[in-house]
Amino acid sequence: MSNLLPPIGHALRPARFGVRFSKLVRQRETGLLLLIVLTCVVVGIKDIHFLSCEVWREILVRCAATAIVACGVMLVVVTGEIDISVGSLMALLAAVMGRMISEHEWDISCWIGIPATLGLGTLIGVFTGCLVSVGRVPSIIVTLGLLTALRGLTTLIMGGQNIDRLPEGLTQLAKQGLCGVPLSILAAVGVIGLTSVLIHHIPLGRRLYALGSSAESARMAGLSAVRLKLFVFGYTGFLTALATIVDVPRLPKIEAGIGSEFELLVITCVVVGGVAISGGHGRLSGVLLAVVLMTMIRPVLTFMDIGEAGEKWTRAIQGMFILLAVVTDSFFLRRQRSSGGEHTA
Amino acid sequence: MNSKSQAGNAFSFSWWHETVIGVLLLVVLLVAGWLVPGFLKPHSQLLLSRHLWEFAILALGMTLVILTGGIDLSVGSTMGLSAVVFGCVQTSTGSLVAASLSCLATGLCCGAVNGGLISQLRLHPLIVTLATFAAYRGIAEGWSQGNSYSRFGTNFSSLARGSWFGVPLPGVIFCVMAIGFAVFLSNTPNGRFLKAIGHNERAAKFSGIAVERIRFWLYATSGLLAGLASLIYVARFDTAKADVGKGFELDVITAVVLGGTSISGGRGNILGTLLGLLLIHETRLFVSRYWRSDELQWIVIGSLLILAVLAYQLIARKPRS
Amino acid sequence: MTTAEAVIQIRGLRKSYDGVHALRDINLDVAQAEIHAICGENGAGKSTLIKMLSGIVRADTGHITVSGTQLLTGSVQASESLGIAVMHQESAAFPHLNAIENLFVGRELTRCGGLYLNHIAMKSQTERLLQRLGVSVDLRVPVGELPLAQRQMVALARVLSRNCRLLIMDEPTASLSNRESQTLLRIVQQLQISGVTVLYVSHRLDEVFQIADRVTVLRDGRHVATHRIADVDRQQLICDMVGRSIEEQHRPRAHATDDSAVILDVTQLTRCGVFEDISFHVRAGEILGLTGLVGAGRSEIARAIFGIDEFDEGEVRVSGRKLKGGSVQDAMASGIGMVPEDRQHEGLILPMSVGENLSLAMLRGLTHWGLIRRRAERDLTDAQIRDLSVKAASSRIAAATLSGGNQQKLVLGKWLARKPKVLILDEPTRGVDVGAKSQVHGLIRNLASTGMATLLISSDLPELLALCDRLLVVRNGRIVGELQGRTATQEAVLSLALPDAAGLQLREAQQ
Repeated sequence: MSNLLPPIGHALRPARFGVRFSKLVRQRETGLLLLIVLTCVVVGIKDIHFLSCEVWREILVRCAATAIVACGVMLVVVTGEIDISVGSLMALLAAVMGRMISEHEWDISCWIGIPATLGLGTLIGVFTGCLVSVGRVPSIIVTLGLLTALRGLTTLIMGGQNIDRLPEGLTQLAKQGLCGVPLSILAAVGVIGLTSVLIHHIPLGRRLYALGSSAESARMAGLSAVRLKLFVFGYTGFLTALATIVDVPRLPKIEAGIGSEFELLVITCVVVGGVAISGGHGRLSGVLLAVVLMTMIRPVLTFMDIGEAGEKWTRAIQGMFILLAVVTDSFFLRRQRSSGGEHTA
Repeated sequence: MNSKSQAGNAFSFSWWHETVIGVLLLVVLLVAGWLVPGFLKPHSQLLLSRHLWEFAILALGMTLVILTGGIDLSVGSTMGLSAVVFGCVQTSTGSLVAASLSCLATGLCCGAVNGGLISQLRLHPLIVTLATFAAYRGIAEGWSQGNSYSRFGTNFSSLARGSWFGVPLPGVIFCVMAIGFAVFLSNTPNGRFLKAIGHNERAAKFSGIAVERIRFWLYATSGLLAGLASLIYVARFDTAKADVGKGFELDVITAVVLGGTSISGGRGNILGTLLGLLLIHETRLFVSRYWRSDELQWIVIGSLLILAVLAYQLIARKPRS
Repeated sequence: MTTAEAVIQIRGLRKSYDGVHALRDINLDVAQAEIHAICGENGAGKSTLIKMLSGIVRADTGHITVSGTQLLTGSVQASESLGIAVMHQESAAFPHLNAIENLFVGRELTRCGGLYLNHIAMKSQTERLLQRLGVSVDLRVPVGELPLAQRQMVALARVLSRNCRLLIMDEPTASLSNRESQTLLRIVQQLQISGVTVLYVSHRLDEVFQIADRVTVLRDGRHVATHRIADVDRQQLICDMVGRSIEEQHRPRAHATDDSAVILDVTQLTRCGVFEDISFHVRAGEILGLTGLVGAGRSEIARAIFGIDEFDEGEVRVSGRKLKGGSVQDAMASGIGMVPEDRQHEGLILPMSVGENLSLAMLRGLTHWGLIRRRAERDLTDAQIRDLSVKAASSRIAAATLSGGNQQKLVLGKWLARKPKVLILDEPTRGVDVGAKSQVHGLIRNLASTGMATLLISSDLPELLALCDRLLVVRNGRIVGELQGRTATQEAVLSLALPDAAGLQLREAQQ
């Protein structure tokens, strides 16, 4: 029988060690984890203080906001869209929140100000989703427009002045946290848990992946692309608001330039974390590891004791990591393709 | 046979976006001329156009890139790196010519790296240029260590400040280039091929178009233009720093998309980009001079971008269904 | 058959795309728990009918009634709610999701009041279904990485998991081996016993005779006949299917003699896992047919010759000059032209104008100082439009506005403008109406008589028999036989092309 098709039971044979190993190597998480551990070991040898609790607490606090927003943006990218407005949105929300609750400004109670901020973030997210799904404007254009417009709105609201004197309780909570755990870390853990449950255990999460995997098949399966997109953008807006609330009070004052280029950092983490930019594929664990890696760069450079000079290279190293990630990806993809995988342009 | 009416639609339709932008531009100009005294005087217009030219030069390259369905986020960073290279070479050799050439060469190399990664490894342009966006700026920052280079002499700054029959020199350079790009796009095989690639890459390949080679040179060109823009920027401020061109990429993309170039590729032209640039520029001038507010201009431009594309989508969808 | 028993009634169904009729006035009754086969050549309208039933396409006129309820065409939800499930030809799946996820997208099993996914139930149900299908699939692997046959089985399982009343299967066995096909057919029969009505679309007549109760033949979008399977034989069915081409089918005169120069020479061409050891030559003025089932590797061979895909071994020579593999530019420079299979996505750039499409492949030859000579371009395109009698109001309208036949003429014109030495045609008349089809045929004959070497790939057997001097049959990526155009018959070609036992049976029956 000269049949090129393998018999149907072909793929079931128990995976040999080699196969499993190569699969493990191919997973983005392995590479990222290896890189993080390696860096820790190297820096740790140079200065054991790097491995102390305080340093890592600081690193994780810096990770938190990025991780929270990345959970949302990751889902946006999984459905095949993109959101580059989160930085400006964060600035706007910070300004609005500051205005509302600062003792020098309107001095509204936190119990109203914080839900209002969350609501505003969600609302703007849903509005974005509306333009993308109902208005069919490409998401990169909508969020590019918002990136510009929201930044302008922020400066307008700030009126050229910085906002300080947030309520003592909130700043304390943000800095000290509950039982010694900073608020932002608590929030991040909550959001990661929620997103993870959403992805793995809720029908909605599955459908987001299905939509990103094949919009046409999704339509045939009767999924509503409009509703799903409204959800992801709304969710991202909500998470951005949450990140603002837990992260901003840590700062001494709220400036108009807050969150600038935050969107690019988040997208970078999502891409380095192994989420396919064309949608349908990506794991939360990869994105989170990427967030840690990207945030680590600056403290590591500080600890390497190259002085001021070193820190200036932070961005260059970030760029190199993205390139490294995508180039290895394409390398594996090629190998797969040349070993009989189907040809896709 | 309704193909005739469809043809009529298709023809008038292909200029619809440019018409709308042109009308909007006129409205802005008229309102501004009415509300702001002296706004329309050629002299003041030319005087205020000074910081338009770098954007405009970048927009030419970006139009071609977006026309093929790609994107180049790294132009601003490329400008920064080119500026730093310019400063370094100038201070170490003292030669302006060598410095200028190395500035352009840096731009070309940066673009070529983008092009190589995108065309040879078939990576997504958004990701590649996002990576080089961070990398080029990072290299510029790391290399210059926050220093700025300045005092390149009046000879050099006349590149940006000089004028030719009242038109600023960068404007002359831009106009010549814009005409060149327009002719390239509408009258050369490669220009036609760019559109073909943007509409349907597969079919372009099946028509024997060397898609990968064209794409490589496209990004290289975009880099080279960033080098040139950087040169003019440095000449204008007489300072080369790592943060030259920061945030330019998004402004340039906004102008190009506002000018009617479709972000998914295939549709667009230089005239549209020109109108888009002018619309943004005049709106900005008007808003900042009438309301004396810099913030408002961002809101107006961001909303303009979304509304223009939204309107286009709503109108374009009708004939399809 | 009285209408009272009919579970589906189709009345006066009509659909046209850009003036080309895909379906005209279809009337059909399908009884409860019947396996009803639908046969027809490519482009007969089977796919359109299926798309309409599944709600992807809206009917122009006519209506469909399912168990007394009128079906609103154009809504997937409406079709699903009436218990219609479709197994599409290109298994519509989510490549990034694994088998379990694929099975339940849109109708996930849940617990805790619909809030939580019930992984255990979904897994066990998937396993049960796949066991029933007699296949074992790695449930953790994304479906896109599974072999084609397994993907097909997952698609079937997906359909079965939704307890449908009417199951539509579009060429379900196209990518399956004989053993796998038999499993699938057994399952279809089981479904019938459990009361499911099946509409079974297939090219494989053996299968039709094996399982169908009745068979309906479509041709050119028309309903030709519905037979009880006991009342019909293979000959009658083929006759119904090919119908019109009998009068068209005049034997070719030899365009080339054995001493004409060899233009295209392919030796031992191999692309691992796709095709291997392909050797043939085409002489000047010869039309060489290349046929086989869909997925046998015909198009892939053509693409490798033209340089779209790279090949691993072997060589291609044009007039003795060896080609660089994987370079379309080199293939074109040595005089090859190719009309690809997928006109809309590969052949034309639909939003661009007719003129721009026609001149695209030879634009570099129309320049002066690097600029396009507009007048020369217009002369060229006007001449092509006239010569090929393309029905277009002007050369400035978008190619997308033309009908299928005229679009195909554009693709041909694009290559003929280059005056190629070798022309590769991949399914040049698929989805093209009868008039344009005979024009294209005439064109191919004329070109051959001017000395062009032609490689014609087609699934349309009458077309091949009417045009080709010689015929090569490809099966599973290998050339399995060569027939002379003069003496070849449809049966002979089919017996070579069909895989495994079905073909063997036919071959034996012939001897």
